[in-house]
Amino acid sequence: MEYARKLSEKLSVEQVKIELLNTAYGNGHTFLAKLDPRTLFILYLLFGVMPWFVHNEKILFGMFVFIAAMTLLAKVSPLILVILCLGLLGQGGYYLIASLFFGGDLSIILPLLELTLKLAVISLASITVFCSMDPEKLSNGLLKIGVPGQVTFSIAYGYRMLPSLLEEYHHVFLSFRLRGKAPEKHGFLYWQAIAYFCKIAVLSFYPLLLSMSKRARTTVEALETKGSLYGFNHPEVKKLKLAHMAFGKRDYLFILFFLSYLASLFLLFT
Amino acid sequence: MTEQIRLEHVSFQYPGAEKPVLQDVSLTINKGEFLAVIGRNGSGKSTLCKLLNGLIPHFYVGDFFGKVTVNNLVTTEHKVADLSRHVGYVYQDFDNQIVCPRVLEDASFAPLNYGDPDYKNKGKQALQLVELLGFDDEFIWELSGGQKHLLALAGALSLDPDILIIDEPVAQLDPYHAKKMYDILYNLNVKHGKTIIVIEHHTEFIADYCRQVVLMDSGSVVWKQATTDALRQVEQLTARQIYPPQVAQAAYLLGESAADRLPVTLEQAAALFPKITDTASAVRKEKTVSQQPHANKKAVAELKQVVFSYKTIARERKTVLQNINLTVHQGDYIALVGNNGSGKSSLLRLLTGLVKPDKGDVLVTGKNTRRQPPEQLADEVTYIYQNPEEMFIEDCVRKDVEYFLKARKIPDYSKKVDRILAMFDLTELQHHDSRLMSGGQQRRASLAIGVAMDPSILLLDEPTANLDIATRKYITRLIATLKNQTGAVIIATHDMQLVAEWATRVIVLHEGEIIHDGDRESVFSNTELLETAGLKPPQILQLSRDLQMSPLAYTVNDFVTAWKRKENLCGVCT
Repeated sequence: MEYARKLSEKLSVEQVKIELLNTAYGNGHTFLAKLDPRTLFILYLLFGVMPWFVHNEKILFGMFVFIAAMTLLAKVSPLILVILCLGLLGQGGYYLIASLFFGGDLSIILPLLELTLKLAVISLASITVFCSMDPEKLSNGLLKIGVPGQVTFSIAYGYRMLPSLLEEYHHVFLSFRLRGKAPEKHGFLYWQAIAYFCKIAVLSFYPLLLSMSKRARTTVEALETKGSLYGFNHPEVKKLKLAHMAFGKRDYLFILFFLSYLASLFLLFT
Repeated sequence: MTEQIRLEHVSFQYPGAEKPVLQDVSLTINKGEFLAVIGRNGSGKSTLCKLLNGLIPHFYVGDFFGKVTVNNLVTTEHKVADLSRHVGYVYQDFDNQIVCPRVLEDASFAPLNYGDPDYKNKGKQALQLVELLGFDDEFIWELSGGQKHLLALAGALSLDPDILIIDEPVAQLDPYHAKKMYDILYNLNVKHGKTIIVIEHHTEFIADYCRQVVLMDSGSVVWKQATTDALRQVEQLTARQIYPPQVAQAAYLLGESAADRLPVTLEQAAALFPKITDTASAVRKEKTVSQQPHANKKAVAELKQVVFSYKTIARERKTVLQNINLTVHQGDYIALVGNNGSGKSSLLRLLTGLVKPDKGDVLVTGKNTRRQPPEQLADEVTYIYQNPEEMFIEDCVRKDVEYFLKARKIPDYSKKVDRILAMFDLTELQHHDSRLMSGGQQRRASLAIGVAMDPSILLLDEPTANLDIATRKYITRLIATLKNQTGAVIIATHDMQLVAEWATRVIVLHEGEIIHDGDRESVFSNTELLETAGLKPPQILQLSRDLQMSPLAYTVNDFVTAWKRKENLCGVCT
């Protein structure tokens, strides 16, 4: 009971908001966060995409070790890692049960492990790279490699709105609680209480939609008066915006480091 | 004086609207004016202002006639982007105008977009002008409401426009920050020569700061006059549900027929009304018996040694309430006052059981909130949010009002719902979507939802914020009728008129502690306390204090009655 209460405290909307914002903005001081976004894009390309085409589990494991170390360096929020682990285990377990159900045997375990390893490398790479860039940096990086200004702005703006939206969601959620009636019995394994919370968690999204569109009206007008359209259509503005981005010594050294690590993995195990 | 803005026979109709919002408006505004635009809701004030930066007709494509010239630019011939360098606009919902996560970034957003290589300095200068320094790298969600408003103003200032438009600059601010906002605008106007246009309901601020007033009524400009003359038109203004400064109302009711003598500021009123020193003793006898002692009343809620903190985004704990001891009795009508951030909302939320204290206990009708889920406490406590929209969880007013009763399977609930809808004048609107109603209607709906829950304690968070004065008076009257409906009512508010007219007990919070708990007289006659807590009494109360009246007059009517009696007494004396 006490355990459940502590867990529910950890999972409150307020806590989720804090974790999300910290994941997005709070990691500016780590080694990875100080790199140029383009360096991180290259890292992501190698560790987030390449594993799909690698079938050697030794190489995959080597990659896993490297990216796990990077995740530690990036100081990723523990909550996110817990969710990731649950996801990976859940997925692997589900495949195992499904294959056993349809007449497979335990020989499935090895390929499943390989798949899980692949997914782990890819997910860790995504988390590490995106936690190390705050949305501004990500949006500037994308702008630099030629993504249109409207798209990159939306990414940064979406994150700016996140706290207010979560707050509003929270209030609506509480409105449901304050006016509704919780089930009197918790039911087996709390299932009634859980069902009740899941139901209002979903219902709380609906009132949010309209208020979002109302907010957007002012924002769009304000963007117009602040000349964002002008900015999108004038290349010199883009140049000015990105003037602070530059590859440093740190970037070159880091790229060299992870390229040589990968190369030695392939040389050793193939 | 150089003419800066000229509107010639302008009419505008939004697409799909039945009739035009602006009809044949002609108006000139000179450089360096400090202009207030007044008029009831829907009279076209915002639309008029959106003409000036070209949002109309470029952004809102409707039926547009006439000609608008701003700084010699005809708005139909220039883009919003060009006009924005001449006209800065701060919205009423300024929160949505802030688009970047960090303060300096947002302040320099516009100059950056226009390709100004010096954009960072432009942003910094703007922040300096609004006195928002030292927050450059702060995240906007860590700012208080007042600071956000200043940031929105800085964003508009960053392009160094000649003209600034601010839609309701003080609607969401506590009295201290409201004055600061106007002081900054005054400075921009006088020192930096900017033309300032505000849409404003608070005539007391207009009297203190603005120099010209434009009155609008159903899409037309009725007149433009110098402030003092404008605010003396008591009949014309009240007919349009605009309330002149309280001192003007009082002098008018006391038969000051010569319009050119009506006072509009406190100083003018103090000069007009002689001090009552000699007759003070005669009036003093009127002093009402102070509140009955609490001893024989039933306690409905208790807070014992409560400490409360919350976690900030930087994962630190911030203490908002400390050492709170408070007993709420049956029949208490409490106003909870104090500056933004003094802990008012947290105190209310503790009583709902949505949050639990770090230390100490909160008891609601004898039950400790630690051991009660908020759903059960909701039978006793109702909390009405500051933003009514956050209470609307159904798609029409009626469903929202009956939600609680239905969830509890109360027999015959529909009769009760009918009665409550009628009480709040919502019968006609009952099948409308609450979110699409006007501010005043939404507020009524949120009150109806609360009353339908039939609570022992009703908690209201800023029930009169963001409303025009006429609606505010209407809501204040409705709140007064609640006195017979519920056991105890607690209102957290900045609205000192509401406090003065309604509360039987006033609790002053300052930096998370209760620094005063007593009747309204004990608060409003204590200058030191008002100063510390940043409270500003209603103008009429200030006047009666300056005139050393006793008891103090809390409303214009109180003042008029007391003054008439005093005059009668003096008639007897002489």
